[in-house]
Order: sequence, then C-alpha cells, then structure tokens
Amino acid sequence: MRYICLVYLVEKEMDAMTKTQADTCTEESLAYDAALRKTGHLIAAHALQPVAAATTIRVRNGKLSTTDGPFAETKEQLGGFLLIEARDLNEALQVASRIPMASRGSIEVRPIKEIAR
Amino acid sequence: MKFLFTIFHDEQALDDMPEPEMQALVDAALDYDEEIRRSGHYIVSNALQRARTARTLRVRGGKVSVTDGPFAETKEQLGGFFLIEARDMDEACAVAARFPPARIGIIEVRPVLELRHS
Repeated sequence: MRYICLVYLVEKEMDAMTKTQADTCTEESLAYDAALRKTGHLIAAHALQPVAAATTIRVRNGKLSTTDGPFAETKEQLGGFLLIEARDLNEALQVASRIPMASRGSIEVRPIKEIAR
Repeated sequence: MKFLFTIFHDEQALDDMPEPEMQALVDAALDYDEEIRRSGHYIVSNALQRARTARTLRVRGGKVSVTDGPFAETKEQLGGFFLIEARDMDEACAVAARFPPARIGIIEVRPVLELRHS
C-alpha cells in the first residue's frame, strides 16, 4: 500500500542554519532516501523550493486565475515529501518516524486512494 | 525541471456530489493522467484518502509522538498530488490548469529542490 509522507518545516529555521548544518541535513536526507530505495520502500522523494516559489491556480467557469505563493499559510511549511510503499499504516509510521527531518518538523502520513473508471 | 502539484478541495462538497458526477470527474482525471503521460510530463501521481485518515508525527528528543488527523486544518483539504516534469514554471502552471478538478479545487504548483551531495 502506498502512503505519502509530507514533511513540514519552519523555513526560517532552515534558512538560519549554518552551511555545515544545512549540508548535514542534506546528507542525512539523501542517505535515508538511499536506504529506503534499498529496502524497496521508496517510490519518490523530493525536497521543495520555498513556499515563496509556489503559484496557486484556480479555474472557474473556464477562467484561469493564478496567485503567487502557497495555498495555505501555515506555521510550518511543506518542505518536501516521500511517496512510500508500506505493508500497513504501522509500517508507514515507522518509516516516517526515521525521516531525518522528523526531529525538526512534522510529518503527515496519508494513505493513497486507488481510483478507477 | 520537476514540479509538485498539490490539489486541494472541499471534501464535504465531494462527498455531497451525486455518484455519476463524481465518477465523471474521476474519469476526466484518469484521462488527464493519460494525456500528460503521452506528453512526457507525468512522473507519478495519486489521489489521497480523506484528511481524517492522516496521522501526523513528530520526533523530539528521540521520542515519537503521533496525532490523528492532518498537519494543517484548512477549509479545503489535500486530496491528491502530481509530480511532473516541465520546462519552467509557466509550462508547469499550464499543465496544472488543464487538470479537470482544477475547476472545483485549487492547485498549488511548486518547483522541486534538487538536493546534491556537498
């Protein structure tokens, strides 16, 4: 079963890191991605550019409107995600709890929904 | 360049939708999947189960705490995502605008940050 793990972080705290701290975070994240790939848990994982880089889109009555910035202003910001394969929610939570950024931010774990015609 | 689309909609409005209308939306979304596979934009996408099925976890001092529900309570809820490949933000937004549920929901488009070994 697939689960998405959404990683929320305080961007300001990440920006305030020294280069050494930021490099350590990157290395830890890349190492965990590699470990999950080896165990067959990882489908995709990416960090995201800051929320300031987001564009939000709506289409109403065929008319497109775009606004700069993220959909929701939150105390912590979506900073990345992992799409994983796990046996059940328990295993997904175990995988999520070992995400290096779990000790700095919050991880939302949500099962995917199969859709069909 | 890779982009993440996060799709938000009012779960209640979806729950209230008549079944044929809902199925038409699902079919249109699946058509869109195929269309952007053919155009080479598609990497991976999934619909998500309802926000109430989410768990949110934090690790502090080596201790894991888990709470029920999504990280953020919002008027519209995250209902799915797409990871796509596009030339730039303009192309990514043009692809996002063609997603049929964009007519009833909201799509946030965000560029991926490529992490590289230092």
